[in-house]
Amino acid sequence: MFVNKGGKQRTSRAGWSGEGEVAIDPDYPTRLNFYQKAPLLEISIEEFEQFALDRLQVLKAIEAAQLRGRDEAEIFKQVEAVCRERMCLSASAGSMAIRHDERRKDHISHFILRLAYCRTEDLRSWFLRYECALFRHRLMAVDAAEKQRFIASLNLGHKQLSKKEKDLMRTELMASCAHIPNFNFENESFLEVNFEDALDLVQHRRVYLRNGYAYVPAMEQMALVIGEFKRRLAASLEMYAKALPRMDEDERLMPVLLNISRQNTGKEYTTDAVAGKVTADDVEPLSALFPLCMSHLHNGLRSEGHMKHGGRMQFGLFLKGIGLPLDEAIVYWRRAFHKSTDDEFQKKYVYNIRHNYGMEGKRADYTPYSCARIITSNQPGAGDHHGCPFRHFSPDNLRRELLVSGVDEADVQEMLQLVTGGHYQVACTRLFEVTQLARARQQGKAAANVASAETITHPNHYFEQAFNLMSPGKQQNGMEIESGANASQHAIGKRWRGSN
Amino acid sequence: MTADVDMQLDPTSQREIEAAAAAWEIAERKELQQDSLALLLRAYYQSLFPYKPYFQWLNYGPVAGPTFQHREFSFTLQNDIYIRFQSFKDAEDLRVELLRMCPVKIDIGAIYNAKPKDKKTLRQGAFQPLEKELVFDIDMTDYDEIRTCCSGGDICLKCWDFMTVAIKIIDRALRDDFGFKHRLWVYSGRRGVHCWVCDSRARRLDNEGRKAVVGWLEVVKGGVQKTRKVQLPATLPPSLQQAMHVLKEHFEESILRKQDVLGAPEQWRKVLDIIGDDNVRPALGKQWSSDDTQDSVQRWASLVKLLENPPNPRAKRTYSSHIARDIMFQYMYPRLDDKVTSQLNHLLKSPFCIHPKTGRVCVPIDAATCEQFNPLKVPVIEDLINEINAFDKQAESEAGSDSAATARRKVPDVEKTSLKPYVQMFKRFVSQLVKDEIKQNQATPRHKQVYF
Repeated sequence: MFVNKGGKQRTSRAGWSGEGEVAIDPDYPTRLNFYQKAPLLEISIEEFEQFALDRLQVLKAIEAAQLRGRDEAEIFKQVEAVCRERMCLSASAGSMAIRHDERRKDHISHFILRLAYCRTEDLRSWFLRYECALFRHRLMAVDAAEKQRFIASLNLGHKQLSKKEKDLMRTELMASCAHIPNFNFENESFLEVNFEDALDLVQHRRVYLRNGYAYVPAMEQMALVIGEFKRRLAASLEMYAKALPRMDEDERLMPVLLNISRQNTGKEYTTDAVAGKVTADDVEPLSALFPLCMSHLHNGLRSEGHMKHGGRMQFGLFLKGIGLPLDEAIVYWRRAFHKSTDDEFQKKYVYNIRHNYGMEGKRADYTPYSCARIITSNQPGAGDHHGCPFRHFSPDNLRRELLVSGVDEADVQEMLQLVTGGHYQVACTRLFEVTQLARARQQGKAAANVASAETITHPNHYFEQAFNLMSPGKQQNGMEIESGANASQHAIGKRWRGSN
Repeated sequence: MTADVDMQLDPTSQREIEAAAAAWEIAERKELQQDSLALLLRAYYQSLFPYKPYFQWLNYGPVAGPTFQHREFSFTLQNDIYIRFQSFKDAEDLRVELLRMCPVKIDIGAIYNAKPKDKKTLRQGAFQPLEKELVFDIDMTDYDEIRTCCSGGDICLKCWDFMTVAIKIIDRALRDDFGFKHRLWVYSGRRGVHCWVCDSRARRLDNEGRKAVVGWLEVVKGGVQKTRKVQLPATLPPSLQQAMHVLKEHFEESILRKQDVLGAPEQWRKVLDIIGDDNVRPALGKQWSSDDTQDSVQRWASLVKLLENPPNPRAKRTYSSHIARDIMFQYMYPRLDDKVTSQLNHLLKSPFCIHPKTGRVCVPIDAATCEQFNPLKVPVIEDLINEINAFDKQAESEAGSDSAATARRKVPDVEKTSLKPYVQMFKRFVSQLVKDEIKQNQATPRHKQVYF
């Protein structure tokens, strides 16, 4: 891609008249794009940045909609709205010139973000996830004819089962489609593909598998196309990551790309210069300000004297985020693992703690997990205490845990309702309001004079807000948490401003 | 709170003193044990470890190539020092290093794009894993909330049933659903089993592909705070129907009789918690506590009956009889360690390792006859060495001293021991694997596979 410092300049193409009614754009025959070829054209640096930011807004809006949306239809509506605003793609209305510009923007912006997001594993997986979501959204949005035209152009070579083959596998095929409402076996055709080409369907047991082949009902073909999109994009991102350090670039792009990729991570909670002020002794008294996931881990650790790896990561990084430095962290965990001998502790756990603080292995300075990450990745398994209580607890256990934390019945009901609708973070925010905010109000804290709290997006965000409510500057009386916290409050108060 | 701290101070320091004393004692005993273990390990690596088939397995062919040379091995040494990113030229190189370092544990990792031992000379990020067998790790500790006979590292023949069922179910799915032919099941030496799927198609799966396979197989989901860990659709998909046959076959014997999960209130409460219906739960609890002549089988029957005809008709709709089926899954269906499977660069203990705590050899298990496998009868390193000595002594007494030496040399040491059948099983597995691999490579020439 070439960048033109000066004004806007567009490539002109022979044989392109512009105003055709249903004429098909040779560059962009459909609104769907597999982004196989990088755009070879010139673009101004302003346009470069604007395109990228617009696309980023769309991807971030998809992330937000998926986290908060009630159901598929609502998510679809929200995503559609933001697409129309930032990255409109018209079907046939308007002039061909406009359509070409829209699709060109879609094309270019995708490749800019590819460059910006190929640098690290985290960035790649974020980008991949939401690009796939955007692609999926568009597949659902376009009309059937356009979709068919697009799929045909891909030449995916899916083999269709003959009537005879289909009948031979009748029972199994029907059982594997039992999850599809109003499924009509007789009218449905099936495709035979390698299971590697239908990973998403395999993962959710939505196909029939035999001998390495997946038998996919034609109505699920969309999933195959998305899978193919994902695979190609993932491979290409890997390739970009390898090529990036050797890219011959003219020193104007890299700062822009770095800036773009920083936009997405949101607030990161890192221990910065003032670190070293929360001690191992402070953790216990401060635990009154922990969100439910962390107080659950804290309690589990105290009662069992042990914690599995997933919990150690989630809780250990959270503690790091509230300002527990490495040496204090080692003291804290050593005491918590009171069943282990010193020898065992040194050998099995110290490395892991030091690793979290960037002192071992590849020496990455890990940041605490956000709600989104806790909710969506690394689901807890047998013996695990980590995860989001609102997402991963049985209703009965969540209810009990909430009642134990002193929430009254009516509020518990409300939170369970929110959980049923999939609004885990909203439920957590509600918990914040009825516990932390209510207590601060009772104690007449000035900071508590707000109707509702900000939506919780990060366990450290919860802690920060709770801490600010209780911090002395405003009023002195009635701190319920113990003295250890008081001593360290001034220092902590400033720390979670985040890095942006 | 302050008072609490004061009260806890004393016992804590007391405990610390005790712990230190215990640690001292353990350290002394350990040293003794380690000395003898070191000798045994040397003898084992000297004369029993099956280098040739082991090399052919990881090399996928007779001539040493990058498949073997770019493979990561990790050693745990006697003093718990852990060395990653070892790699070897061929079987002989591996043998020399094993004898030199005498590791108590060998882990196998991925095949990388370069020799792992050269990792440090490469630019950061340039060293990438390319392939590895698709592996599974099933560990008995994941069944601790369910089994009533043992906990932690202990196992007995009662709870080994969980592993038998796991092997049957996973092996069938890998074979019939995914079409994988070369599945090597291995006893982990203590309380679990591993499976190595060696088909080239399995080896080439990326993390996404591995995750998908886990998703296909995984049924029991959720942590400590999730009571109902299985929620399956009314009509089971075909693969789970197959699994259900195995569960039905073992559930009564293993779960109801051997584990006796409805025998005592603290156990049956866990089962009732899964049901979560406030009408059914107390009714069953009351019935069971009032009649302690009933055994788990009878109690299970009454549970199934009540769930089919619940006291309030509305419950029938919400909690239909599938719940009994889901409980069966929750109690018996294999529990996989998903991270071991889904990460390409994850390490797993090698077959034919010696488990440092039990001294047992990590021997292969024949999936077809897994019901007969008895983990408590697996050869222990000490016995193997004794078997060699006994064999030699007997040969010596039978023949004159001159010819005895030649006779001893004729019989390979493995054949003098109870390890023999396991090594033979492994050899059969490897030769079939290599044969198929060669056939396949003839179809797609090796130079088309990318290594750099």
